[in-house]
Amino acid sequence: MKREGVVSGAGWRCIKTAAGLLAPLEREVVLGDLAEADRGALRGLIDVLGLAARRQIAFWTSWRPWAASLGLALPASLYLMFWSVAAGDAAGSLVGEPSNLRLLWLCLSRLLLLSCWSWTTGYTVSAVSRRTLWASLLACCVPCLDCLSKWPGHGLSGLELLIFLVPGLGGAWCGRQQLRLGLSCAIFLMAIAMLAPIMAGTGGWMYGCWLLWPGGYLLTKAIRRPALISKSH
Amino acid sequence: MREVIETAAGRTCSLGALYTTLDRLEAKGLVETQMSAPTQERGGRAKRMVRVTGNGTLAAREFYESVVRISVGTAWGRAPRDAA
Repeated sequence: MKREGVVSGAGWRCIKTAAGLLAPLEREVVLGDLAEADRGALRGLIDVLGLAARRQIAFWTSWRPWAASLGLALPASLYLMFWSVAAGDAAGSLVGEPSNLRLLWLCLSRLLLLSCWSWTTGYTVSAVSRRTLWASLLACCVPCLDCLSKWPGHGLSGLELLIFLVPGLGGAWCGRQQLRLGLSCAIFLMAIAMLAPIMAGTGGWMYGCWLLWPGGYLLTKAIRRPALISKSH
Repeated sequence: MREVIETAAGRTCSLGALYTTLDRLEAKGLVETQMSAPTQERGGRAKRMVRVTGNGTLAAREFYESVVRISVGTAWGRAPRDAA
């Protein structure tokens, strides 16, 4: 029979927090096993962390986490930072000359491209490997923090670099929720993604081409399971 | 299950080792698992029940017989004449 004191202490709360690393169904089973076996908080905590580590290692035997983190999140963050600065500069110029239609168009187009690319990338990163999203976030944050530390401006100007994170995190959230895209929406995002190599200019067109694959991934996914935006459970 | 393994093997068995092994066996069709109804002993949580399949029994028997065969004549196994 289980002793109530063990399952209500601080140790048990630690175990429950650590069990958050596991999938919901497995979490319940593991907590139930630990409550039934009642071998002490430390042993339980080691067991849960050990299982979570084994599960994470198992994820990395697939190509998906590698493609999401090193294949997309890392290079895309560098590219999107460049576009964040470009969009920020255009917005700054527009504030100086609000009646300039050319600047308005430049600002809106850059913001639109940035939002679409960033959302598409975030969605793809999350959809390709949902369980290792933490690693993709890390792969995205490392170059961001590096660039931020070398940023020549002062005050809030460094935040220009990180504009892409807003739509990017939105896309990642949608991918995590397994939100399905309609075909028209996927075609639109793919078409926008194809503008990346054109807009990248002479130096970065190959880099832009590499970033076409999130758009292709969205399109393939929408063709395989055609549906209007809806949540699958 | 964990207690039985630890008692029989005389060593500790981590939860991670047990769960990942069960997953592999289930993927190979050697065991089947299903969730039981929640019980009070488990704080109102369900239990993962494991059942060995026919293929699992066959594979376990083959494995056991292989170990016995290969151990004949070794320092830890039976002498060849005893095995015969």
